[in-house]
Amino acid sequence: MAAKNWKLFWFIQKLNIKTAFLSKGDAFVNILMMLVNNFSFIFMWWVIFADKGTIKGWNFGDMALMFAISCMSFSLYAVFFRGTTELPRYIEEGMLDNYLCSPQNVLFAVSTSFSTFANWGDFLTGLLMYFVSGYVSFSGFFFFLYLSFMAFLLTYALRLILSTFAFYFQRTETLGHNIFMTFLIFSNQPASIFSGVYKVLFLCIIPAGFVSLFPVALLKNFSLGDFLIFTAGTSGFFVLSLIFFKHGLKHYTSGNRFGIR
Amino acid sequence: MHNIIEVNNLTKKFILKKHQKGLKNLFHPAYQTLTAVNNLSFAIKPGERVAFIGPNGAGKSTTIKMLSAILYPTSGEARVLDLVPWDNRQQLSYNIGTVFGQRSQLWYHLPVQDSFALIGKIYDLSEITFKKRLSHLVRLFEVRDLLNTPTRSLSLGQRMRCEIVASLIHKPKVLFLDEPTIGLDITAKAIIRNLIKKQALEEETTLLLTSHDTDDMEKVCQRVIVINKGKLIFDDSLSSLRDSYLNKKYVEFTTESGEKIRQEINTRQTSVKAALDKLVKDYHVTDLTIENPPMEEIIKEIYARGD
Repeated sequence: MAAKNWKLFWFIQKLNIKTAFLSKGDAFVNILMMLVNNFSFIFMWWVIFADKGTIKGWNFGDMALMFAISCMSFSLYAVFFRGTTELPRYIEEGMLDNYLCSPQNVLFAVSTSFSTFANWGDFLTGLLMYFVSGYVSFSGFFFFLYLSFMAFLLTYALRLILSTFAFYFQRTETLGHNIFMTFLIFSNQPASIFSGVYKVLFLCIIPAGFVSLFPVALLKNFSLGDFLIFTAGTSGFFVLSLIFFKHGLKHYTSGNRFGIR
Repeated sequence: MHNIIEVNNLTKKFILKKHQKGLKNLFHPAYQTLTAVNNLSFAIKPGERVAFIGPNGAGKSTTIKMLSAILYPTSGEARVLDLVPWDNRQQLSYNIGTVFGQRSQLWYHLPVQDSFALIGKIYDLSEITFKKRLSHLVRLFEVRDLLNTPTRSLSLGQRMRCEIVASLIHKPKVLFLDEPTIGLDITAKAIIRNLIKKQALEEETTLLLTSHDTDDMEKVCQRVIVINKGKLIFDDSLSSLRDSYLNKKYVEFTTESGEKIRQEINTRQTSVKAALDKLVKDYHVTDLTIENPPMEEIIKEIYARGD
């Protein structure tokens, strides 16, 4: 089953790339615009750090590392598994029918059904920011990839949980989108500025801390305790999202809206 | 012969939020239960071509969705190819095909053959099996010229032909067709009907077809199941349907003066012979034809009796 899903995954990626390159100019301009967008944001923080030096112990290198993790994790989600964003629409319009009728893992099929090619721009930003962060090493790079992957799992899981609300309530698309955007915004703030209640909110309710706080701390000074909390937290969230989806799917009521993939 | 589809007391209820004025829905939501399928039972033998008809909201699509493992039932049992659909979704899907007239399984921007290739991969077909099968279906459904056309550029009739090819790539034993001719013009409908029947006969595929077009039923199927408000109201052969509900004939005749007259004969009250004797006595008839009522009228009557 895993081998079949893997083969399917690559075939779908080929189709996604083919779709993106129907208009070659668009694909490259979109990636370029994503890079411009990211670097204008990073430039703003660079100016702030150039003026202030540090913010509650964080310097620009720490910020660069945080950007690297958040860009990499988000790009993995958006390029390969963005179908979860479309899930509320699929549920409300009865478009899950096609996936349920085929011998695929429904969640895998839905997740890979949509991709945004422009987010390769985020992937490139992530790599670049890692190399300018000042925390570069050969083994560190592989650890950085591991942390990015786990942060991606968390990003995916949060989006999936928000999307599964549509199995139970109507018109949850906007609410889910807004909460997810809050998560992305929090994931791009220096983790050191949060304390007290905000830190609890930051780690447990909108778990952006698992994208910004832990990975940066682990890359700077490895601690087994933090590593275990990070791995357990992101994996736990991921498993929770799968349970949410499985439970929600039993409440799927289909629909008759005309539609095309 | 062993049944390929068996449905026993199948029921599906939906819980819907009632519309209420103001902000009542926010604080005190009220719900109502809608019974879409109500204790439905029937069985289908391998190779049968069955029309599954009923007015809007009768529960046709809901039944098909339960049989194809899209929906869980509220109660009752069903077996398709000896499998309980909702418990064996993936296993069952290797042997069933579905065509939903309102929905596409083809990728909108990509050439049709890319969607076919993806479906081949989804069903685990080897490259050789896939090519052989596709080549056969392409010939049968005459879609060779459409293979390189993106789905968005296909006419509705062309798209439907491709949808059916897509649903047959894995050579299913049972094909569920939910309004496959919806929105098509007369010519396209005729083509689709012929192709569906041809394929079913050639590969002995069991068909369960829902439609509002009685011609779909007459041209493709041997048997009719009629449901209304989720309940079964008729289940027999097409000829039996005609016999049970055929209690009138239409006589159209031309008089000597060239006037054309159409009269209805109620065969329960008077015989056709008696009616014609009277007609010949009353008029100077130069031409005469006797017709059965159209199938649509028969169906309308079944619905009315079902109510």
